[in-house]
Amino acid sequence: MKELEGKVKLVVKFFPYRYRDHARIAAEAAVEAWRQGKFAEMHELLIKKSPKLDRESLIAYAKELNLNVEKFIKAIDNMEGADIIERDLKLAKELDLYVTPAFFINGIKVLGVRDADYFKNIIFRELENAKQR
Amino acid sequence: MQSRGSIRVFLIASLVFACFLCLNAYASERKKSIEPLPQPPSPKYNTTTPEKVELGKKLFFDRRLSGDGTTSCASCHDPEKTFTDASEISLSYPTTRNFRNAPTLINIAYAKSFFWDGRAKTLEQQAEFPIMSPFEMNQNLDFVEEEIRIVPEYREAFRRVFGQEVNIKLIAKALAAFQRTLVSQNAPIDRYLRGDKNALSDEAKKGLEIFTGKGKCIKCHHGAYLSDQKFHALMVPENPKYANEEKFIVTRRYVAKINKYPDYMNIKEDLGRYFKTKKKADYKAFKTPTLREVAKTAPYMHNGIFKNLDEVIEFFNKGGGEGNRELKPLGLNDEEKRVLKIFLTEALSGDDLKIKPPEIP
Ligand code: HEC
Ligand code: HEC
Repeated sequence: MKELEGKVKLVVKFFPYRYRDHARIAAEAAVEAWRQGKFAEMHELLIKKSPKLDRESLIAYAKELNLNVEKFIKAIDNMEGADIIERDLKLAKELDLYVTPAFFINGIKVLGVRDADYFKNIIFRELENAKQR
Repeated sequence: MQSRGSIRVFLIASLVFACFLCLNAYASERKKSIEPLPQPPSPKYNTTTPEKVELGKKLFFDRRLSGDGTTSCASCHDPEKTFTDASEISLSYPTTRNFRNAPTLINIAYAKSFFWDGRAKTLEQQAEFPIMSPFEMNQNLDFVEEEIRIVPEYREAFRRVFGQEVNIKLIAKALAAFQRTLVSQNAPIDRYLRGDKNALSDEAKKGLEIFTGKGKCIKCHHGAYLSDQKFHALMVPENPKYANEEKFIVTRRYVAKINKYPDYMNIKEDLGRYFKTKKKADYKAFKTPTLREVAKTAPYMHNGIFKNLDEVIEFFNKGGGEGNRELKPLGLNDEEKRVLKIFLTEALSGDDLKIKPPEIP
């Protein structure tokens, strides 16, 4: 993905699935990791370790990433990310989104699991369009 | 003398019979042509009426039909994606994985059986499957009746349309009636077949010749629906992307299990219609899909393994998948492949149906 460096901005929104045991607390973990400057690393780790996302496991991941663990525990226990998560859930509802993962690439809606080629096609086409504008 | 006479009669009779047979074979060979789309059927057991269609459309877009309220029929049969979800393997109920490609619903009115393996005989019967399926909508049929019946607008609509209270059979009927209205509009092939010789470009006409001639596509893709409505084992390879995906394997085992396939725990392939019939001839056989609107319904085949029509044409040109007994190499050159693709793309694509999500009560 080197070729896309500096050309694409990725914005991640939270959408914990309401019937999934640890979805919500995992989202809290990601928000706190973000506040400590390690969102991308935590995000990667959560996807890799899913569905092992119970409280104890999350704390272990925080350690693994050298986060301030005391602060981390306090944050996930007190749901300090709730405002952000609720804001994103509301947005999802407004956009009529129910499926994860869901992507918007320059407004083009992509739902469900896709391979890299699928995204590349759209991204390169959109970059090309942007150039012509 | 006596016996000679009767032998002669018998000989003549058998000759006549033989001729009859060969005429018959000739006729059925000749019958294989492409036909224009007739009006869609409106079966006696569920006649199509505007009010029923309206109700069916609402249900088609209503997420109440899924257990967790996230998924409607339109999630996987999205009007903006020609009633597919444009995925190799279809979308799924959250936290699960589907195991086949979602076919388009355009022109589904003309199908004689439903699903890649033909396990449903009518559209009405079909509708209950995704609602119940743990990896699609994961809903309970008795429960969904109540979820729909509690909505006053629905309750009234069912009384108006069917003169009855909401029940799952009527939900299925309304869904079927809506789907029967999804019909290709104004496709160049239909205009051409009805006599407008300019409806196809010269290249598309050449492609049509390949389709009906050297390419032998017509053998299975014929009639108005462009399908023989039969099942063939082309030995399309398994999609390697999912070979090791746990959730995919779970779903395939589950399907094998509920079909009472003894060794379901070790199932490594999609056995297609064989799961249901257990007949040798159905081993890895899948329904011949319609080719109408095909340019808009990539990826292709029951497992979405081919990204585009070029890959599909290449597959047929090399004689299909390993070990199949249905296809032979075609020897199409680049030009022939090119015009065949133009035919599939240009001739079989109608106007886009502009179906917008309705107001859900
Ligand atoms: C989670 C995705 C998903 C949802 C939701 C879904 N479908 Fe499907 N649909 C599929 C897949 C995948 C197939 C093919 C399955 C197979 O052949 O085994 C299919 C097949 C069909 C077919 C048969 C098409 C053919 O050519 O044989 C019809 C009709 C259909 N669906 C209608 C519906 C209706 C009506 C609903 C809502 C009640 C619905 N689907 C909900 C994924 C979905
Ligand atoms: C022996 C019967 C047979 C012949 C001959 C045949 N097809 Fe098919 N076709 C099928 C079947 C069955 C499938 C589905 C196979 C599967 O998914 O495993 C299919 C699938 C397809 C698809 C994918 C459609 C979709 O929605 O996924 C295309 C495109 C197609 N055929 C085009 C052609 C063309 C072009 C030719 C001639 C070169 C041809 N077919 C010849 C039976 C046939």
